[in-house]
Amino acid sequence: MVETEGLTKFYGKRRGLEDLSLEIRAGEVFGYLGPNGAGKTTTIRLLLDVIRPTRGRLRVLGADPRDPGVRGRIGYLPGELALEGRDKAGDYLRFLAGVRGGVAKGRVEQLAERLEADLSVRMGKLSKGNKQKVGLIQAFMHEPELLILDEPTSGLDPLVQQEFLSMVREARTAGRTVLMSSHVLAEVEHVSDRVGIVRSGRLVAVENVAALREKAVRLVELHFDAPVPEDAFRDLPGVRDLKVEGANVRCTIDGRPDALIKAAARFTVVHMVSAEPDLEEIFLTYYSEEGRHAHAGA
Amino acid sequence: MPTLVLKTLREYRRSLIGWTVGICAFAGMYTSFFPQIRANADLYSQAALSKYPDSVRTLLGGLENITSGAGFMQSIIYQLFVPLLFTMCAVALGAKAIAEPEESKTLELTLTLPLDRKRLVLERFAALVVGLLGVAVVSLLVVALVGASVDIGVPFGRILAAHSMVFLLVLFFGTLSLTAGAATGRKAAALGVAGVYAVAGYVVNALAPNVEVMSWLNRLSPFYYYSEGRPLITGFPIGDALVLLAATAVLVMTAVLSFDRRDVGV
Ligand SMILES: Nc1ncnc2c1ncn2[C@@H]1O[C@H](COP(=O)(O)OP(=O)(O)OP(=O)(O)O)[C@@H](O)[C@H]1O
Ligand SMILES: [Mg+2]
Repeated sequence: MVETEGLTKFYGKRRGLEDLSLEIRAGEVFGYLGPNGAGKTTTIRLLLDVIRPTRGRLRVLGADPRDPGVRGRIGYLPGELALEGRDKAGDYLRFLAGVRGGVAKGRVEQLAERLEADLSVRMGKLSKGNKQKVGLIQAFMHEPELLILDEPTSGLDPLVQQEFLSMVREARTAGRTVLMSSHVLAEVEHVSDRVGIVRSGRLVAVENVAALREKAVRLVELHFDAPVPEDAFRDLPGVRDLKVEGANVRCTIDGRPDALIKAAARFTVVHMVSAEPDLEEIFLTYYSEEGRHAHAGA
Repeated sequence: MPTLVLKTLREYRRSLIGWTVGICAFAGMYTSFFPQIRANADLYSQAALSKYPDSVRTLLGGLENITSGAGFMQSIIYQLFVPLLFTMCAVALGAKAIAEPEESKTLELTLTLPLDRKRLVLERFAALVVGLLGVAVVSLLVVALVGASVDIGVPFGRILAAHSMVFLLVLFFGTLSLTAGAATGRKAAALGVAGVYAVAGYVVNALAPNVEVMSWLNRLSPFYYYSEGRPLITGFPIGDALVLLAATAVLVMTAVLSFDRRDVGV
């Protein structure tokens, strides 16, 4: 869907993005992460032909994004969305839909209802979050094959964020491809298949979220109806920091919880707590190491 | 009409209405003063006006024969004030075509629509043409109607010719503003380039008869082609009109090509 090779963008002498080689596959949701000024927006603007690469190659939907036909198959939410003027949001959406050759009847209203957006307000008077909703509606309304969303959740309240994430899941179920950028993994990990991290203009890691989750260390607590012998849990594969205190067992598991669950099944479990793994943390350590390698190599 | 042209006209609507009202009020009001001037021909005769310093008279375009209908219209309506106001309108609209929305970042979404960039510029230009044409038609009607009501004695065809030249003149400056904006993405550049060129062009043209160097520089001044033919007296000057149109066409092409090859919003 998206393919870049050695993609580089300099703004004069300032580096925006350097040597990005990335492939986004059909049907996946790709989370594009990085701190402020990393190069996320630069990448996305290159993909939409708003800016032109200094070097490198890029293909979007199998063609050059200069081809207007390609842009017709993309839904785009800009990172710095600006909506101004006295036009009502609904009129603006009608204009965009008109240039795109029309959208399914009732589609805009349905999206507006889901996101609780009021389309009868003049655009200049919309609050930041409400502008973002209009931005999301115009990106999703024509049911594009490829969605490119630059910080889609910024400005949205938690409930609307959830609604947005379910829209992304539905798009994925319908076979569409999504590229979305964010500052934090937590925002995208539940919908992303893969995540990539950029830092100072360079891609430092691309990881499969499921694999990451499997690698994740998580804290588990088990409570039984009677004291259990420590032997039953010792030396289980992937189980560490084991602490057995009477009827309570605490440990961290590395990857799959399978062995622990099977060992526990011999006793009567009354309560179990498993903390959600903090992918962010592993990811950060993972990519800061990668980053160091990259620097050492450079 | 293409969607983007309509949308652009909608964006222009408020300024178009404002400028139309301003230009019409001005042109209508001054045209209505004609009977007083005709009635006091002695007072306003050439001899009387010659007491103005030469330099002022030159800048105002000679103030000749303002007691005749055509002379009055030429000096009061078409020499300075209407072209000036209308040029300001055109330059402001030209800056709204690309530079202003680019600076305010609203252009980015339009740019990512399935529209060719060349087409985007051309449709913005088309909207500029239609908008300015609207102002021209309304103000033409106002001048012609008020003129007729005060028996100004200039045939409609001649007023139409003069007004058409105003339209071509301001279309040139509006397009210059659009082009500077399309090439740079900066509103200040759009307004600055077109504004400076307009003022310089006017001054050069006004001083040309008296200052040697100005007379060849004058070939670069749109005001030369605008005023040289005296359309109120001799009718529509096709040659001059073609020069203005050709210059505008070159500008549009420059706008299309330069916008097509640059980064937007950086
Ligand atoms: N128009 C520009 N002119 C000069 N430098 C720019 C321009 N736009 C971006 N940059 C630089 O390019 C780098 C990448 O910026 P980019 O906007 O792509 O970051 P980002 O990852 O989107 O950041 P954020 O999370 O803050 O949106 C930054 O160092 C930035 O200063
Ligand atoms: Mg950004």
